[in-house]
Amino acid sequence: MALPRSVLGELRRIVGDRHVVHEPNDLRIFERDGSISGAVPDAVVLPGDREEVVAVVRLAARHSIPVVPRGAGTGLSGGAITLRGGIALQLSRMRRIVEIDPVARTALVEPGVVNSDLQQAAGRHGLFYAPDPSSQKACTIGGNAAENSGGPHCLYYGVTTNHVTGLEMVFADGSVAWLGGDAPDRVGLDLLGVAVGSEGTLGTITRVKVRLLPLPESVVTLMAAFPTIESASHAVSDVIGHGIVPAALEMMDQVTIGAVEAHYRAGYPLDAGAVLLVDVDGLRETCDELSSEIERLLRLNEATGLRVAADADERELLWAGRKGAIGALGRIRPNYYLHDGVVPRTRLPDVLRRVTEIGEHYRLPVANVFHAGDGNLHPNILFDLRQPGVMEQVEHAGEEMLRSVVELGGTLSGEHGIGIEKNAFMPWIYGPDDLDAMLRLKRVFDPTGMLNPGKIFPDPESEPRLVARAGFCAEARWW
Amino acid sequence: MVVDGLTPGRVETPSTPEQLAEALGTAAAAGESVVPVGGGRALGLGDALERFDVALETSRLTRILEMSQADLTVSAEAGITMEELNAELGGVGQFLPMDPFNSPGHTVGGVLATGLSGPLRLRYGSPRDFVIGLRVALPDGRLASSGGRVVKNVSGYDLNKLHQGALGSLGVIVAASFKVFPRPLHDVTLETVAEDPWRDAERALRLPQPPVAAELTRDGRVLVRLAGSRVAVERMAAELGWSQAPAERWSDHSRRASETWARISVPPGRLRALVAELPGGDWWASPGVGVAHWTGDLDPESVRLARAAAEQAGGSLVLMAASVELKRQVGAWGSPPATLDWMRRVRDAFDPARTLSPGRYVT
Repeated sequence: MALPRSVLGELRRIVGDRHVVHEPNDLRIFERDGSISGAVPDAVVLPGDREEVVAVVRLAARHSIPVVPRGAGTGLSGGAITLRGGIALQLSRMRRIVEIDPVARTALVEPGVVNSDLQQAAGRHGLFYAPDPSSQKACTIGGNAAENSGGPHCLYYGVTTNHVTGLEMVFADGSVAWLGGDAPDRVGLDLLGVAVGSEGTLGTITRVKVRLLPLPESVVTLMAAFPTIESASHAVSDVIGHGIVPAALEMMDQVTIGAVEAHYRAGYPLDAGAVLLVDVDGLRETCDELSSEIERLLRLNEATGLRVAADADERELLWAGRKGAIGALGRIRPNYYLHDGVVPRTRLPDVLRRVTEIGEHYRLPVANVFHAGDGNLHPNILFDLRQPGVMEQVEHAGEEMLRSVVELGGTLSGEHGIGIEKNAFMPWIYGPDDLDAMLRLKRVFDPTGMLNPGKIFPDPESEPRLVARAGFCAEARWW
Repeated sequence: MVVDGLTPGRVETPSTPEQLAEALGTAAAAGESVVPVGGGRALGLGDALERFDVALETSRLTRILEMSQADLTVSAEAGITMEELNAELGGVGQFLPMDPFNSPGHTVGGVLATGLSGPLRLRYGSPRDFVIGLRVALPDGRLASSGGRVVKNVSGYDLNKLHQGALGSLGVIVAASFKVFPRPLHDVTLETVAEDPWRDAERALRLPQPPVAAELTRDGRVLVRLAGSRVAVERMAAELGWSQAPAERWSDHSRRASETWARISVPPGRLRALVAELPGGDWWASPGVGVAHWTGDLDPESVRLARAAAEQAGGSLVLMAASVELKRQVGAWGSPPATLDWMRRVRDAFDPARTLSPGRYVT
């Protein structure tokens, strides 16, 4: 539904003619995010600063127009989809790194700053920003904060919420507040803690302050091949069970290895049932000691073809394969449906067995590439959307996989968010009273429900079933 | 039991979370005021209590619900003490890095509700960083859970954080799940007495592998704890060149408290200047965290001055324990946060009748 001319006029006055998109063909570019559960916004508005965000939000509130904040559109749970139309608030023009304080080790950034741009800027001071989603070459810090994103190195360092010390947020009524702050032990309720990961449903993030960490003295990257995904899972449990929490501990199965090797030639052995990629960082001495202990444990669990990256180039290549894995899967099928469930780490072998069985049952190839150390699965169901009826099969398979995750004591999402992809399943993990407690917050901050409507919570206005979703791998090279 | 000079009309000691929720709901429906009580180690925190009808104790909620060694997670009821829980975890080579002052005897629920932390926060962060699930009894008698038992979870709003440090003003924590940590292979305590202890502390904090705890006391003593692999600890210890001290220093240190006690929290870079200006009393500080604790015979004027300086630096001064008189004179919390209005609305959504510890919290 097109916005009234008068509203479009006001939007143009607020952000400038060039920064309002409303032609149908142009709007289609913003129809999707990392999934294809598309919905075309009525307008896309690109504010240049906080005042413009405030003015747009106020205008939208006056006219009861939904507002959906949007970063790079790499999200995998449909968080940036304008499910009920309205305004997509595209924040990519707000991409200034306002300040890096190398002494306090903090960075203040606008929401549209790309994760890897912040990494580079921090690196010039010998610092780094720990959360490293695989989409980091494109995804934004504002989006990361809204989704509470993770990444391979969150195993040791923690996810986004552990690194955000403050947020500037524009609420549904257009008021602005700074949540959190530079001092520890802020007086009053931890609104920052709730804002991070609220998926644009409580407010629009206009600035983010994050903690930076000193780059470790040394990094060792290990790659180990295993005969089966089962033996690799046991190896993961063994490492963690021995009280070793490496910086990263990632797994790729045979399907993934094949696709990645064809594309990146990262050196993963093609005959392996699974490959583990392990990063250990810290002092040189610690790295040596820990990596030899990890090597020992991996060998005890049938690891073959153990390799330690000889230099930075080799390390980068090994990681390029991991970070680009999902894009590479496009070689197998053009579409994928990626899940993000988490199980207690010891249940990995069980859940992976179930995932395989479900894939076989539906005759759909499944590629597993995931944060094994955290128990955070990423089964990619691969398919070709052009094949009639396939979507329904994919949905059923995905639902069964999530169901298995929950049955094994797990949760729906570890780092991608709930959005519209898993909101129908929230009652699987939370009872009515649990959901009601969360909804109390939603009603406080957004009483009319205009901010990113239809997300996170079961949505009575949508069919309580999965809607079509799959990312074209060609668009998703960076995952 | 006495809180701010008031004794409760009655004491409830439910033995299950369900019973606790019911007791809370019943009291709230009857218009009674309820104060959650854990180990009673922080009952002086906050403004003076207005009414005290029911003391709702968690002392019988002491079960460990699940301890999964290989998953590095634990779930326990709120009334278990930190010492009991850590003794269990210690049996499998793990621990929870929660070491609040005024120990021992803090309960898990108490530490979370009060937001207390200790020296180990330097390395491990506050419980905010490793609580993975909470179960909370709400004033309407319902039990609500957030998070789960997995170490990574973005399913729904992170209410785990909302209840931490809320002093039970939104609900009573009845159980919590944590990500736990492996006990370091080697753990060495070093100390030095220096003319410029802040400079020495800074040197320790800038080591390539910083200490897991670094504390500084008014007598010029710096106490650090190095942990990790043997070679790493040895190398860092050699770089510092300080003398070794017994590990008991930490349990002694964690017993620090006083009848009049304030916590100053500021950006770490501002801490030294603030502490230097403190007019008398004793203090100890975590320079890497940005927290100092100030004890002694604190008078209203000194507290006002120190608080003004802390707030000027972007932080706060909170009275952790004080006479009702002092709390009335200067307030426990200081200037209200800019988002107080939002916080009150959140409180309204959970505790509209102000059943929980009326008058005590910021909201």
